Amino acid sequence: MQQKLLPIAIVFLLVASSCAQGDTTSVDKLEVSALEHLWKRAEEKGDIRALGPMLDDDITYVDENGSLLTKAQFLSYVQQSGGHLQSLAMQTISMNVYNGETAVVVGSYLAKGEQTGKSYRREGRFIDTWVLKKGKWVCVVSQETPILR
Amino acid sequence: MRIAGYWFLLFVFVSGNAPAGTPQDVQLGRILSLENAWNQALQVKDEKALDQLLDRAFIDIECDGTLTNKAEYMANIKAPTVQLARIVNESMKVQFYGRSAVVIGVYLEIGTRNGNPYSHRQRFYDTWINRNGTWLCVSSQSTLILH
Repeated sequence: MQQKLLPIAIVFLLVASSCAQGDTTSVDKLEVSALEHLWKRAEEKGDIRALGPMLDDDITYVDENGSLLTKAQFLSYVQQSGGHLQSLAMQTISMNVYNGETAVVVGSYLAKGEQTGKSYRREGRFIDTWVLKKGKWVCVVSQETPILR
Repeated sequence: MRIAGYWFLLFVFVSGNAPAGTPQDVQLGRILSLENAWNQALQVKDEKALDQLLDRAFIDIECDGTLTNKAEYMANIKAPTVQLARIVNESMKVQFYGRSAVVIGVYLEIGTRNGNPYSHRQRFYDTWINRNGTWLCVSSQSTLILH
């Protein structure tokens, strides 16, 4: 448990450190990066109470099958997957912040779990677009694409 | 076709430098025009047009999960192994957030890869940023529609 919390604690320390230095873009990047890590942790645990506030009410989510999901549908999916998802690890993450109000995060993940008695392993890439609304970063679009080769 | 496409794109860029404060439906029209110009540029492999559409930090995720930057994306377009016969946007929804716009839609791509015909229906999502009055695409992602 302590090991799992360590990366998040480091990100928060970096955020605090950058705030002190007054570098706005770095602060934005670290803040969004922290949210991305918290998102994956919440999804892994099926914790929709933690996940909900990070997502804009009008978020568009595109799953790995190309289906469109609303916020309610995505949260319901996360709640259900919490029962079979054993781990969700972020493998890579990079981002750019534009005009201080939009952050585009590109990353990859590895999901492992067990469903109907069979174990699965899914690798994919994602792009999340975050916007600053009333001083708070919220994700407005998220899309997944499975890695096929 | 190539010349017509270039002039169309030029018109879009010139009009993209209009003074700030124009109504959102004008911006909406510009974004939709740029999306269509992108498809046209892909079909005729018009690198110059594509170069003007994509931001230097552009990132693309293809439907097989391949990640490419702008230089790699442009190189793939030039590759003789892929011949796009048709690329059509079936639906597009644009959402604005300050100086950013997100386009979510569905497109149909028909062509040949290494001589083998293919047809893909994909969900795409593009993020555009307004830099000094000019819209540039900073990210694009496609996912095959399986159901």
